[in-house]
This record gives sequence, structure tokens and C-alpha cells, in this order.
Amino acid sequence: MNTGILDVRKTYNYLRKTQTHLVQSSEIATACVCQNLFKLDYPYGAIRSDKDYLIANTVHDIMSLCIGGPIIENWQYNSNDYENLTEKIVHDSYNIINEIINYTLDITNRENRSIQHDFKDRIDEIYHGLVTGICKRLMKKYDKPDRIITEITITNIKDHHEGRIDALLEYHHGYGILDWKTYDLNKTISGREKWQLIANNLLANYRYCQDEDDWNRYNFSCIVHNGGAYFPKLETIKKEVDKIKINRKFAFEVLCGKHVRAERPSFCPVCDKGMEGSKECLFYQIDSKLAHEGKLPAQYDKMTRQFFAKRYAILKERAETHLHKHVASTLIDQHGEEEALQRLERTGVICSGYFYDFDIEERVVMSRKDADFSLEPRRIVRIIGIEPKRPFLSCISEQASVMDVSNNKITLSFRSKVAVRRAKKQLFHLPIIMMRDELNLTRSMLRPIHQFHKLAADIFIPQELLPK
Amino acid sequence: MIDLNPDQERILNWRINSGGVAGVIGPAGCGKTTTGSFLAVKIVCEGYARKVLLVAFTNSAANEFCRELSILLGPEAAKFLCVRSGYAPGADTSLSIPFSNSIEVVRTKKIVICTTQSLRRLSGCIKFDNMIIDEAGIERLEHLLSPFTLGINQLGVNLMKDYISYETNNIIELASQSGIVATVVGDPKQSRPIGLADYDLSAMEWVLRCTKYDTLFTTHRLPNKLAMLVDEFADYGGLRAAHDIAARRLIVDKDIDNEFRSIINPDEVITWADLNGTEEMAGPSSWYNDIEAKACVKICCELRRVAPSKSISIVTRYTEQRRIITRYLRSLDVNVRVLTSTGALGTQADIVLFSIVRNNPERIVGAVGSLQDLNVAISRSKEKLIIVGNFETMLNCWSRSYDMNHRIKQNFPQKLAKLVDAKYGEVVQATSLLSY
Repeated sequence: MNTGILDVRKTYNYLRKTQTHLVQSSEIATACVCQNLFKLDYPYGAIRSDKDYLIANTVHDIMSLCIGGPIIENWQYNSNDYENLTEKIVHDSYNIINEIINYTLDITNRENRSIQHDFKDRIDEIYHGLVTGICKRLMKKYDKPDRIITEITITNIKDHHEGRIDALLEYHHGYGILDWKTYDLNKTISGREKWQLIANNLLANYRYCQDEDDWNRYNFSCIVHNGGAYFPKLETIKKEVDKIKINRKFAFEVLCGKHVRAERPSFCPVCDKGMEGSKECLFYQIDSKLAHEGKLPAQYDKMTRQFFAKRYAILKERAETHLHKHVASTLIDQHGEEEALQRLERTGVICSGYFYDFDIEERVVMSRKDADFSLEPRRIVRIIGIEPKRPFLSCISEQASVMDVSNNKITLSFRSKVAVRRAKKQLFHLPIIMMRDELNLTRSMLRPIHQFHKLAADIFIPQELLPK
Repeated sequence: MIDLNPDQERILNWRINSGGVAGVIGPAGCGKTTTGSFLAVKIVCEGYARKVLLVAFTNSAANEFCRELSILLGPEAAKFLCVRSGYAPGADTSLSIPFSNSIEVVRTKKIVICTTQSLRRLSGCIKFDNMIIDEAGIERLEHLLSPFTLGINQLGVNLMKDYISYETNNIIELASQSGIVATVVGDPKQSRPIGLADYDLSAMEWVLRCTKYDTLFTTHRLPNKLAMLVDEFADYGGLRAAHDIAARRLIVDKDIDNEFRSIINPDEVITWADLNGTEEMAGPSSWYNDIEAKACVKICCELRRVAPSKSISIVTRYTEQRRIITRYLRSLDVNVRVLTSTGALGTQADIVLFSIVRNNPERIVGAVGSLQDLNVAISRSKEKLIIVGNFETMLNCWSRSYDMNHRIKQNFPQKLAKLVDAKYGEVVQATSLLSY
């Protein structure tokens, strides 16, 4: 028994000294738009928006439940009567929509948060738009899938890549990716959504073919939005994959604290259009230019070094949140999945044998046959449903925190009631493994450092050094 | 009404009449939360500030602030002046202070209580003239900066630009010079930076390095012998027990069984039950010691029998040990709180058992040898402290941790063993506890 534990502990100790960062698909997309924009998020920590995404999040919740319910149930391939079909689906979704809206309102009331007066109408309108897009474009071109998985997180450790896909449509011969946006894609100019979709395609390839460059199972990918749908061609996607990989490498190296020069594109939708975040971006560009020219005042220079030391310490902590996944992946590579999972279970990193009992609101009670398990209250866990022929970290999963452990029962708190419903639909019927996980609080920790950096610049940099 | 001791009064008067960022060191049981709450009330009621933020790292610490404020102000005034903001399920709704995340409601209140993680809900909307920050759990400087951002006085910065540039050398000084008025209450000898770097300063250490600070020296928790042990062990420089509790001792209702007489001995405040258990690895970085776990449970069972009304806690450095002890206690249906040294911060009990866990021929004690962990473990008890573990390992261990100033490396386990054996407690052989 000790050999197994020792092996796992050695792997932890070894990996702690290496770079265990993972780059999210959304971050790769940002870097594809402009590498300076990525640096604005990491390492600078400049927040570009303080908006409350209540409507967008609620629509996402509705879609994640309806796509596997009324939408797939009413799927009609190549139907010309998309308007009636849309109405039927919207009608059939009425209960789900109402339930989620009431749930959201309940939460906002509990927290005493304000809500816009046309909240319900906006949600109805956006949902109607998305369903129209699916019926008019997606159903027109593609047959009913065998199964739809929603909000699936896929981690590809080898390529330092992770992402959450809105919906994966599974066919016996392949897969399709569906992403939904609550705004009109035709009115956006950054193209960020397209990059995110392609990055997610690499993850889907990994899930279905164990290789991100194997496109044999690819069927289609699509962004449905409030004004229609967007289908990139496979040739177009393949052409852009290199750009995704270059920017993924760039993002990874920035997170690791390497000196990488950010390349500004010929057109940046944020800076060139003066959008939110352009001031911050300009601030850091001037800052690094002055630093490069050695013009920064000594005190400010010293303080900037402190800020960057803190920032990279925070980023190292972000990498630490992915450590368990790296250990699991390394052990699976070394010993095969079965043996690796046994070793991890003996060490208490994972726990298996649970099955679903019942749920109340956001809480789920699960149990197993014996009482000897190593989870403790307040621990964050990833509940993974083992799927045959899929890499361990690409299987269906949800995150939850342990609320209570007693005898052979465990109470888990999910992020929301919607996550519980989703898990009941697509996760709990699978063999369950619970793996230790961590919360990523990087952004909230970087933000004050950015604010103090700006404050210090305001105080120490003389006006004559700044461009007019 | 709560009576303040001279230390607390001195600190209150100092902070009322001074600006910038400052630190208040409060060893165990010295009333950090009471002082912080009192300061907030005084600042608001006497018109020194329009809006005060009380911020803590955990929900339970934020609730403690609310409880103190309710006592100080009375339920009606507390309801009128204060609001608890942040994570709704974490707030104690039994208190008179209302909960709200609405910016409109928060704007109307004078005292806002919130956790560090929930501050982003308020950022950008509300500014505070004064803030009191409970440092317990705030591990590093970057955690401390988020409350500070709510106190930056941009107008003041613009007016004082020339002056500031000649004075400021680091982030804390910059915060002080930017109009932020904050009192950070905490104890660098209890909370440590749980960072990835081997060498890092805790948030409190940053504050103490760069600003003025004062110390609370009167503990209302630890009886005299324990206060003296903690004072000498952590080098506080004069920690003393309050008069009314100095002579406090454990009182038992029944005769103690022979097997436990020397360990539970009510005349002795500190007892070291010397055991030779075997440590075992568990999890990615944890340890457990089954014999010690069973010994702790046996002692607890006897304590429950002879002193049923007393609160009992078991503190250990390792989560795995906590898990095993909890399991044994549950199987015997014994109600005792089991905590890790991190979780024990801010808690207290009449009787505390400290399980050391580590015991090996190489005498490596690992994380259990840090000043902060040992200090927390020995300073939770109001009447009796029982240390359970191998005395010889601790006395002759290889452990070198930095002291608070990160200048001198000290062998803290050895220091503790020597102090208990020679001056403040008694080491007793506990071989009888090995049978279970």
C-alpha cells in the first residue's frame, strides 16, 4: 500500500516544481484577437467590465436544460416549417423557462440585488431567437443527434488546454459542437467567438479521438446567436488551427512567467475602436515602453517589481489549482487508467463507488456501500462520470463542494439547481468518481494589484513622460 | 456594556487620532474582534468617519463582528447603523444586523460587514473612510489589497502627489499615503502564509514591517501558566492573563480513573502525554498516527465522564488525523470538536488536546514544527491543555523555522518541549493508553 501512496506523493512533489498551468479556450480566443488583450487579463488583472451577466447566465441555464429536452425531442431534419417548429419548442420549454426564471429571481431577491424591469421579456426574446437559429439553420442541415451533452469541461493536460463546451451533439459516426451567444454575432467585430469555437474543436477531437489533430470524428461546429447561426467550414477551421496553437503557447508562456513579447495585430477591436479596456491596454503599453527605455522613476520602478512579483505568485497559485488533474493524468500515462485510479483512491485523491440518492434544491445526497471514505466538509470536488473509451479528464463532470459526510452518505452542494438537474440527466447514471479540485480565485486577487499599479503610476510618473 | 482593558483603550485612542494603515497585534484571547468592533462604533458615533468597513476573511469571523456590534450597540441601533453584505448562506440571520447585497441599502448604512471574497460586489460603487480588517485567514499581502482599494481617496492623492512621491517605498506605504485609513487586527505568530514559496511574508507581517503597530497584552482566555508558556514560546514580550481568569483551573465533577489521573490532573494546566505511536503517510501530503488518535479518543471519553459540561477540542496539524479521530469519536458517539490548526484559528474550548502525529527515527516533524501551527494549537484552551505525542521526537527533532522577522531560524518544537518540561507543565508517560 505504501508504495502506491509514495508514488502518488512523489508525483505531487515533482509536479509542484513544474508548470501546471492550463489555458482556457476563452483565453486562447482573447489572445487570438490581440495578445495584449490576453496580457490585460493575465498577468495584469485589469478588469474590462463590471457588468452583471444575469440575463446571459439565465439564458445559458435554460439552453443547457432545453437542448437535451424539448429541442432534441422536437428535432426535425430539413424541415421547412421552422417557424411553427420554433413555436412548438418554445411552448414545450415553458415549464423549464419559468422554473429557471423563478429560481434566478428568488436568488436575486435573497441577495437583495436589483434586476432590470424587462428581465423576463428579454429572456423570452433571446431564447426565442436561439431556438429559431437552431430550427432554421442547424436542423435544416443536420440530423437529430443520438445524444446531447451540455456544459462539459474537457481538459487536455498534454497540450495545457481546458475548456467548457456549451453543447456536444453526439452521432454514431462523430460529433458536432454547439455554442450559443445571447447577443447578435453579426454586430460584433472581434471575431473572438470564432476562435473560441475552434479551440473547443481541438478539445472535442481530444475527447473523441485522443488526439487534438485527428478530425475523423468531426461533423460540424456552430454558433447559434440571437440573430442566426454561424457554421465555419472544416477547411477554414483547419487553416486557423495553427493560430490557435501559437496563441495557446503564448498564453501558456505568459502564465508561466516567461518574457514573451506580445504582438499587436494590425487591427485591434478594443484599442482601435476605443472600446472598454482600451485605456488600460494603453496604460500598460506606455508603462512597458517607459520601462524598456529606462525612463521609469526609481521608486515607481521598484514598486512595479513588487507588483509583478505578487502577480506571478498569484499565477503560480492558479497553476496549483490544476495540480490534481496533472497528477491524475501523469499517473494514467505511467500505469494505465485502472491502476492509476486505484493508486489515487488509496491516497485519498479520488473516491469511487458513489451513487445518487436524492436532491433538494442545490444539494445532492449520494451514498456508497461502505463508510470508509476520505472526503471532508468544505472540500471542492469534481464529480466525474466515467464514460467508456473517453480520456478520464474529458468525461462528463460537474464541480461541487462537500457539505456533510456521515457514515456512508455524502451531501454535496452544487453551483445551482440547474447544475443538479443537468447532473441528474447526464452524469449520475454513470459510474461516479469524485476527484479533489480547487477554486480558481486568480482574477479577484489580481484586480487590486492592477488598481494599485495604476495608482502608483498616477503618483510617480511625471506628466511630461506620458504621450500627449 | 463591554468593559475595555487598558490595552484596548490605549489602542482605541491611538487609532481614533491617527490615519493611514496600522496594525494591532492580538495574541490568543486578547479581544481582537471586540477591539475592532468597538473602534468601528466609536469612529461612527463620534463622527470621525461617515462610513466604516469591517472585513474578515471567513464568514464565521464576519459573523463574530456582527455579534460584537449587536452587543455593543443593542439590537435596534445595530439594525439601524449596520448591514452585513456578501454571501447570503454564510451570514448569521439570527443576529439583528440585516443582510443585503443591494448597493442602495449598503449606501444608507454607516457600518458595513463583509468578507474579503465578497468585496467585489461593493467595489466601484462605495468608498469607505475607515476600515477594520481582521487578518485571521488573510494569508498574503494580495488578499489584503482588495479591501484597501475601497478606501483610496483619489482627490487626496491628486492633492498630495508631490508629497507622496518622496515618502513611499512599498505598497503598504503607498496605501497609507493614498488616504486609506485602515486598522489591521491580527497576529503574525498565529496565521502564516500558506504559499507556494518557502519564504513569504504573511499579510500581517507586511503591515507590521511598513507601519506603526501596537500590541494587546492581556488575554481573557489563557490562565496564567498557559499565558506564560505562550508568551515565552512565541516571544510576545509580556502576554499576561487577566486577573479574573489567571488562577482558573479545570474542575471535575467525578473522580478520575487511575489510568488517566496523571494526564487529566486538574492541578496542572499543561500536561504532555508521552506516547510512542507510529506515523503513517496519507493523501498527497498528509499524515496520521493511529495510536495517538485512539489515545485522544480515550482521554476524551474519560473527560466527558468526569467533566460532562466542559467543551473539548482536539487540534492537529493534519487533516488525515482529524478525519481518523472524528471517525473514532463518531463510532463511540462522543461529542468533541476536532480541528486542524488552520481551522482552529479564532476558536477556543475549556479543554484542548493537541495531537502531534509525527514520530519517526529520523526525527523529522515537517509542517508541525512551524511557530504558527504550534502557537495556535497551544493557545486555544481556557482551562487545560493536553499535548499527545512523542516527547523525545519533539525535543530532539530536526526543525528550523523562521521567526516572525524572518531573521533567525529556530527549533520551535524543541523550544516547546523544553518549556513544558522545565517550567510550565508536566510530561507523563502514557503507555497505558496504547491499549484500545
